Amino acid sequence: MTTSTLPRKPFQLPFSPIFLVWLGFLAVLILIGVYSAITVFIKGLVITNLTDSVPWGLWITVDLSSIALGAGAFTLSAIVYIFGIKRLQPIIRLAVLVGFAGYTSAMLMLLVDIGRPDRFWHPWVFWNVHSVLWEVTMCITVYLMILVTEFAPVIVETKLFDRWPALRKFGHFLHKLTPFLAVLGLLISLLHQSSLGATYGVLKSRPFWFKPSMPIMFVLSAIAAGPSVTVAVAYVVEWITGKRTVPHDVLQLVARFSGVGLLAYGYIKFWDMAAVTYYGRTPGVSSAFALLQQQTPFSFSFWVGEVLLGILVPAILFLVPRFSRNPAAAVLGGLSAMIGILIHRWNVTVGGLFVPLAYSPGTAFQLPAGSYFPAPVEWGVAILVIGYALTVLTLGVRFLPLFEHTEH
Amino acid sequence: MTKKANKKRKVVVDLTRGDFIKLGIAAIGSVVAAPLLTTGPLSPFGQLKQQQLEGETTGGHGAQTGDYHWGMVISLDQCIGCEYCMRACTATNDVRAEDPWNVVIKETTTAGQTFYLSRPCLHCQNAPCVEVCPVKATYHREDGLVVMDYDRCIGCRYCQVACPYDARQFNWEDRTDENPYVPAWGDPEVERRPRGVIEKCTFCVQRIDAGLAKGLTPGVDREATPACVNICPVGARTFGNLKDPNSNVSQLIESNPTLRLREDLGTEASVYYIPPKEGL
Repeated sequence: MTTSTLPRKPFQLPFSPIFLVWLGFLAVLILIGVYSAITVFIKGLVITNLTDSVPWGLWITVDLSSIALGAGAFTLSAIVYIFGIKRLQPIIRLAVLVGFAGYTSAMLMLLVDIGRPDRFWHPWVFWNVHSVLWEVTMCITVYLMILVTEFAPVIVETKLFDRWPALRKFGHFLHKLTPFLAVLGLLISLLHQSSLGATYGVLKSRPFWFKPSMPIMFVLSAIAAGPSVTVAVAYVVEWITGKRTVPHDVLQLVARFSGVGLLAYGYIKFWDMAAVTYYGRTPGVSSAFALLQQQTPFSFSFWVGEVLLGILVPAILFLVPRFSRNPAAAVLGGLSAMIGILIHRWNVTVGGLFVPLAYSPGTAFQLPAGSYFPAPVEWGVAILVIGYALTVLTLGVRFLPLFEHTEH
Repeated sequence: MTKKANKKRKVVVDLTRGDFIKLGIAAIGSVVAAPLLTTGPLSPFGQLKQQQLEGETTGGHGAQTGDYHWGMVISLDQCIGCEYCMRACTATNDVRAEDPWNVVIKETTTAGQTFYLSRPCLHCQNAPCVEVCPVKATYHREDGLVVMDYDRCIGCRYCQVACPYDARQFNWEDRTDENPYVPAWGDPEVERRPRGVIEKCTFCVQRIDAGLAKGLTPGVDREATPACVNICPVGARTFGNLKDPNSNVSQLIESNPTLRLREDLGTEASVYYIPPKEGL
């Protein structure tokens, strides 16, 4: 370890017993997950609790959430390279790593969720340009390539590439493209982050979903919560390794940005609620809400999960000065915002499907309301995705020069 | 972070002319490469795509010309709720008995009168399912039918979520069930669908295509007419070409009050209902 010729030494973390225990824990998560995924591949989706009336559930929730939580990469890249706030540059590499973990997690999740994983490549070859889901698939693919290109210069800095100077040179060339990738990444991300909401918002037959505010709430919540996840990760890594990661003033600034973003998201959420209540109150919408409030803890999860945990608590922790200087408060805020995102995506997906379709011209018939709680195997595969994301973060922090980085 | 770095907050873009030329070439190159690598001849999935396209059934003989728009008229006034249509459909298309394509619902009018609503796939002309499918696995034929390509479906279930009429079923597992309606109500004319894809009513497209090839008229000749229409003991269902003003369906629509399900959604369904005489 003493012969390094690199000017920037990779972040060193000894293989301490605790680190090994952590790796063991990750291995357990992944083993549980791989076992569950293989069971699904062998027996089919019949072993999940998904049904024809609620065909999307926990997995789609995890999928949407991990994309939203990976939004820190494009948001912070845009802030640094487009709006020229260079002060935030030290956090970019970590943000891109978190984004990479989020987006690849989403792809992994989808691969298990679709009925025919062997046909995962169909959207790339058989285009339906009218489909929101097709657009999202293409955007996510392109954006993942952008993330990899943004990250390539970091990877070629590792000692492994001492042997291939040409590759390293190419990596440095790619690094020059970063500002352009930031522009492209911003456009593509705004498109698919909002389109994930439009996936629901365009469906006329679903009273709970069909509204133009859906994409706006999705993209705003992602922009607000995404960066705070990166902040939380930075502090946690600092606690574990005992070394400075990103300067604290940078982390505090990003957290403040998240706090303001969450308040903006909260404002749109209340506006949406008022608009739906006063202008969009068709009989279908009214009965949908009545049903959700009667038969599910919808009101509770909305007010406590989405508003209190998802918006108010993190906004206070990020913005009130006495908390915002405290790393523990920032981590708590990041976690809280993350839970808020998860609950929002769950409420949208499962709540919308819970409300039965109404197509009969008669008066008596009503389809039964949906019911859904994830089966053990679904939790298992969700654990796989979480284990995978944590592994990517761990390996990245351990082996890549993410932090002691100065711009030339 | 040093004070110097703090002061200098502008992002430096240090690209040389050479870099710009490289960039330009790369940009043009990727624009050319993208279609070639995805749908074009260089696609790593090209072979798979070819295999898949070969497996596709070709639409039959003039079936896909614009001369036809297949539609159905269902008389709620005549329907007695016997569920024969459901049984014949389940047997002919070898559908899982628990999840029929064609459902019969006991309903009530505002006046409290009982009537029966039966619902095949409505073959909407503005079909939400066709719009949302990311791979065009469900699509419109020229003759108005909304059909599935089981070899292309990836099983994302977005169409199922989007359909306003609950007309789509997913194959959650490999089929091993015995069909209780075979052979009493008919014999399967199509293969069972594999695990992991969506299925739905096709208006018995296999009969329409084969019938037209033989010069028969769907809706008139039984051999070319959907099983549910043939079996109906009271003649509540009529099938035919909506584009032909003299067809039986067009005549019925002309001479009766009709409605379509959830007309407010603008789906332009191809199934028309004649309401009960007492009104709905």
